Amino acid sequence: MSEEIILSELSLEDLYELMKEDLYDGLAEEIEEEVREALARGEAPYDVLTKGLVAGMEIVGNDFRDGILFVPEVLMAAKAMKAGMAILRPLLAETGAEKIGSMVIGTVKGDIHDIGKNLVAMMMEGAGFEVYDLGINNSVENYLEAIEKYKPDILGMSALLTTTMPYMKVVIDALKEKGIRKDIIVLVGGAPLNEAFAEAIEADAYCRDAAVAVETAKKFMQIRKGVKV
Amino acid sequence: MSEQGFWVIFMPSGRRGRFPEGVTLLEAARELGVGIESICSGRLTCGKCKVRVEEGEFAKHGILSTANHLTPMGEEERALLHSLHAEDCRLSCTARVTGDVLIYVPEESRAQKQIIRKAATERIIEIDPALRQYYVVVDEAALGEHRGDWGRLQDALQRAAGLTDLTIDLHALRKLQPALREGKRGVTVVVWNDREVIDVRPGYQEGIYGLAVDIGSTTVAAYLCDLRTGEVLATESAMNPQIIYGEDLMSRISYTMMNEDGVEKMHDAIIKALNKLAAQAAHAATLRARDIHEMVVAGNTTMVHLFLGIDPRELGGAPFALANRDAMDIKARDLGLRLHPAANVHVLPSEAGHVGADNVAVLLAEEPHRQDEIELIVDVGTNAEIVLGNRHWLMSASSPTGPAFEGAQISAGMRAAPGAIERVRIDRATGHATFRVIGDERWSNEWNVHASSHLAGKPEYLAAGICGSGIIEAVAELFLAGILLPDGRFNPAHPTDRLVWEGRRAAYILATPEQTANGQPIYVTQDDVRNIQLAKAALYAGAKVLMKRAGIERVDRIILAGAFGSYIDPLYALVLGLIPDCDPQRIVAVGNAAGDGARIALLNRAKRQEAMALAHSVRYVETAVAQDFQEEFVGALHIPHASDPFPHLADLLPAPAAVADAAPGRRRMRTRTSG
Repeated sequence: MSEEIILSELSLEDLYELMKEDLYDGLAEEIEEEVREALARGEAPYDVLTKGLVAGMEIVGNDFRDGILFVPEVLMAAKAMKAGMAILRPLLAETGAEKIGSMVIGTVKGDIHDIGKNLVAMMMEGAGFEVYDLGINNSVENYLEAIEKYKPDILGMSALLTTTMPYMKVVIDALKEKGIRKDIIVLVGGAPLNEAFAEAIEADAYCRDAAVAVETAKKFMQIRKGVKV
Repeated sequence: MSEQGFWVIFMPSGRRGRFPEGVTLLEAARELGVGIESICSGRLTCGKCKVRVEEGEFAKHGILSTANHLTPMGEEERALLHSLHAEDCRLSCTARVTGDVLIYVPEESRAQKQIIRKAATERIIEIDPALRQYYVVVDEAALGEHRGDWGRLQDALQRAAGLTDLTIDLHALRKLQPALREGKRGVTVVVWNDREVIDVRPGYQEGIYGLAVDIGSTTVAAYLCDLRTGEVLATESAMNPQIIYGEDLMSRISYTMMNEDGVEKMHDAIIKALNKLAAQAAHAATLRARDIHEMVVAGNTTMVHLFLGIDPRELGGAPFALANRDAMDIKARDLGLRLHPAANVHVLPSEAGHVGADNVAVLLAEEPHRQDEIELIVDVGTNAEIVLGNRHWLMSASSPTGPAFEGAQISAGMRAAPGAIERVRIDRATGHATFRVIGDERWSNEWNVHASSHLAGKPEYLAAGICGSGIIEAVAELFLAGILLPDGRFNPAHPTDRLVWEGRRAAYILATPEQTANGQPIYVTQDDVRNIQLAKAALYAGAKVLMKRAGIERVDRIILAGAFGSYIDPLYALVLGLIPDCDPQRIVAVGNAAGDGARIALLNRAKRQEAMALAHSVRYVETAVAQDFQEEFVGALHIPHASDPFPHLADLLPAPAAVADAAPGRRRMRTRTSG
């Protein structure tokens, strides 16, 4: 089952296959080597991103959603992804490759819990999104300021406490008041939330976990791009 | 309830009432005093409140009951019921009345009186109560002398006991002259803290009593004590009636945020419950509630706020500001407590937003500040309070473990009530479980489910669900049997026939249909395991962050406080990695230490000073914002831990070889079963 692998001897197809597997196992150094190898063979940075890293993270996301992988494994995978992205990001900027999307994310005011939110941020990055993480305890002003600054496609809000989740409505109401609610996709998540709550506060969707968040974000981005074209 | 509206009848209790259209079944049940479990308070996440519509014409009740007499099922409700294998049920929190219905509340949905032994343990307490009795003979009034009887009583008390600068409660003042007349100038006086006269009784009288109370989110315990001997005359406990407004603290705070009269309702509910407990305890000791001259209260910060009628909403979010951290003395009558009319209530101090008077009481009882050894004290609930330290330093933290340990967020979870699986053993070879339920001493393999009587082997209660200690043992045993891998996945290579696979997901059959109350198997699902992993990691990581702050790698002793702590087998707590490695012999459950602490403060007033000093000196660490919390949390998700060693479990843990195929390796082409 185990054999030494010489990267330069692999076919391109096997190289991408290996990248997905090493991402699954959270092997950051290997990912770096493989990304460099692919680039050395003349692959476009955007192809390395989508065929290798994003495709690999999709498998991770699916298995996380299905309960086969859990938080530690996903974090390892996300770290490996990050290592690969560090190489690709400047190249992607240079080539002006199409962006998958961008997101501002933060835990709402009064709430200081962020592990779940961090996981969503990493998975979103893993799916190729630009993510601006505002951290914990965010007021309406923080969100609005970040939205103005980064002009994200998506706003993600998280709450772990029953008592802090109503603040999401405060933020959404503020977006409406400023007349920018329709310009942005609002995704919400956190332990005490559910779909009914998301609907009641007029968020675009409730995301049960990080994997669902990525799926939902992609779905909305497709609709958004479809409309824009 | 009104003349109009529709009939809602609950079975098996038979309670009935008319309700206007649109009322939820849960609201109707509450109105009628029918106890239905509800943990998430209507947020469609717990599924505990499921009930069944009994269809048909019920002549006896004069109604036609059909399923369409409730609002139609939403997608979310349908999905939740499906996941619970309860398609024939409705969730009473969301189904609304649109016609007459007869509702059956299944056993597992009934809110039963919990079995939690909150008995007072024997501890050595030096008796020096805040209340003292003095028999004095007061000077006779004379013409031309204008001290007044209160002045004369003060002089008598100064002569007899050296007491000065006294005040007198108005109620006692009203009794003064009649008592002097009746006692022929001889009176027995009750003095509080050498400061206030709270009672004057004619002649020589003996007997003075106090009540120590621990207000838990789930259970309220009261100990009636003889203040001269320290003897516990009666112990009473009851469920906290606020539970109908929300199972956990945050749900209750949320209730006050959403309902204008929420604070008032919950305040009234707890006062009513305490009055009942006081009366019951007094009755058990052949006394009356008005013989209780003082009460000492411990409780978590939210419970204390609600007890005082203070809106706890500030505790609902960071920075978790307390209205008052310090101890308080107030008149019982101001709270509506029916004790002695001049009785005082002493409320113990708190440490921080979510480390309350109950934790201070635990410290009073356990006295880590008098030990050389380093103790880790863990009070497990929906919010775990953790204290670490010894005589030189003490630190505390609060970790949001969530309600998984109380049976919520577990698919077959229930509170510790009859029928709840509380002990689990899993055969290492077959992977089959034997278990014990609350209410029956025998293990399930001694049950004869088809017998006609209990003596012939029929179980007293069939399994209705899994309670907190049960799920801990189940997960730990599954791991020891190799059915669960250290990362929390079910092991696809395990040969047991008790794993049901659906694709690459599995669920474990803990109880077979003939062993359960509803005839459906009880499963431990992958999500259940994940929820337990999250809860235990939060607790472990909280303890670990404190240990790192203190620069220590191991603790000498672990104390499991709280009613739940008494039910956890220390060994399984270790196997699961709920607590850091420690000699199992040195892990002790101390029961309701908070109640003991309240009793100590009732019997010894110097301890109240000590409590204040402790509350101010314990260093509270906000673990959620600690830099290393996430890393510790992630490491603690593994069973027992990804990297921290558990040398005390060396002989018990499965050999690493058994899980070798799950370990990542370098530079290997691996194949996965599917993508």
